[in-house]
Amino acid sequence: MTLAGWIFMIVSCVSITILTAYTYWKMLTKK
Amino acid sequence: MTKKKQTPRKPEASHRPREKWGTRMGVVLAMAANAIGIGNFLRFPVQCAQNGGGAFMIPYFVAFLLIGIPLMWIEWGIGRFGGKYGHGTTPGMFHYLWSHPAAKYIGAIGIFLPFGILIYYNYIVSWTLAYSAFSLTGKYLSVPDHHAMVEFLAAYQGRVHNEYFTGYMTPFIFLFITIGVMTWILSRGVVKGIETVAIWGVPVTFVIGALLVWRVATLGTPDPAYPDRSFLNGLGFMWNPDFSALKDSKVWLAATGQIFFTLSVGFGCIQTYASYLSEKDDVVLSGLATVSTNEFSEVLIGGFIAIPVTVAYFGVAETMQIAHSGSFDLGFNAMPLIFQKLPAGQIFGTLWFFLLFIAGLLSSIALAQPMMAFLQDEFKLSRRSAAVTVGGLCLFLAIPVVIFLRHGFLDEMDFWLGTFGVVLFAFVEIILFIWVFKPHNAWKEIQMGADIKIPRIFFFIMQYVTPAYLIILLGAWLSGDGMDILFMKNVQPENYPYIWFARFLMTAILFTLFFLVFVAWRQNKHRIQQRIPA
Repeated sequence: MTLAGWIFMIVSCVSITILTAYTYWKMLTKK
Repeated sequence: MTKKKQTPRKPEASHRPREKWGTRMGVVLAMAANAIGIGNFLRFPVQCAQNGGGAFMIPYFVAFLLIGIPLMWIEWGIGRFGGKYGHGTTPGMFHYLWSHPAAKYIGAIGIFLPFGILIYYNYIVSWTLAYSAFSLTGKYLSVPDHHAMVEFLAAYQGRVHNEYFTGYMTPFIFLFITIGVMTWILSRGVVKGIETVAIWGVPVTFVIGALLVWRVATLGTPDPAYPDRSFLNGLGFMWNPDFSALKDSKVWLAATGQIFFTLSVGFGCIQTYASYLSEKDDVVLSGLATVSTNEFSEVLIGGFIAIPVTVAYFGVAETMQIAHSGSFDLGFNAMPLIFQKLPAGQIFGTLWFFLLFIAGLLSSIALAQPMMAFLQDEFKLSRRSAAVTVGGLCLFLAIPVVIFLRHGFLDEMDFWLGTFGVVLFAFVEIILFIWVFKPHNAWKEIQMGADIKIPRIFFFIMQYVTPAYLIILLGAWLSGDGMDILFMKNVQPENYPYIWFARFLMTAILFTLFFLVFVAWRQNKHRIQQRIPA
């Protein structure tokens, strides 16, 4: 696995995780 | 003589109010269940590995932002708008968007596509159930190699007869079970059926998926004689970027196609599910939560199972061949061979195929719901009668799909409905909602009750970028595969009658729906009014 491969994998996974966490957090904290 | 005690009568179907979702989490998970399908775990890793590895994620995210998210908000908006007028399907929704007699017939495509796709999709879902059972009973454990596994699948599908299977009895039994379960869930209604199953089913897919990712990630190098066959090299095969692929238009088309299939936009299902929302319910944040749940399942789970494990057992060269043979070869031929070698492979094999089954079944339910809603809303059928009608029709119409599989019947339906049809329908709905209904009305409709503000840039994207992108996509498919498929260039002459039969069947379903829409509008003339202009 190359460095570029790691970067693409981590950036893709982290950005999707942040989006998911943000939407669920917003939903759960919204009254 | 005593009078017989009178039990209170249930209200007539025509007087029953439309159902509404029970909870917000329920609607988000039901929508996510619609999107999460077999493709998340098989199609995505194959597309990624075939189209530039990590570099594939660039066009993938571009399509996600320019097509996936805008279309998803548009479909949620159209659905909630239609539900307000008592319509759960696009004929009614389009009728209120565009005061033209043709609108409702164009809307019929939004029932035709999901129902047509459902006819063959149920059959594919039934394979996953069958293979889950075969894993549990160890039926394929003695199959020696890849070639024999291909024969095993072909015999199961009835394409050949050999020592593994003869005839169509086994596939029909699993198809019957699949449609039976789907019908039962549909008959329980939106809250007790769809919502309850989604609340349980989506977390189950995540738990099983996480378990499989853990199993694959802890494999290391299964065979020390082949040090290059490892999980890490599998990740490398999947994620190492090949930037030259970005110059190839086919890679951009593949990424856009993947976004369409994975988010289930253009199918007509999101609108129906959204029609069960209340008028003031948010669609912006809920829609975003739905797509992010789907992406999480696709990239973080689907991307870490099938391809890495195949590389760990077969090496890069053979995985490349398998990936080029398509998703089904990976899922149904390569994976069973891996489960033969994997420690506790029988259990993990059962879980893998059960995961695919749950994901597929939840998508099947979403594909069936537009036809259910049409029968309930426009013909006032009870929930149970509608479910039995849809289930019965699915079973009956799936017969040629099963029997003529080897003649390309399923592939023909899949191209026109699942590839070309969904993009065409997405284009039509965006034109109607954004341009005919007027941009500011559409924007206002989507933002009503929103829990987060949509960045203004999406107003521009929805008006210009997404429609232009869809036209390019349609043109590219038509000028590429479309013409070859239309003129049957790659079809063996002996298969011509079967391809024509598939086309006849699709046309017959479409015209039947046109007729049903005509009848429904005649019957409900007093109820269906023109929209009061905003």
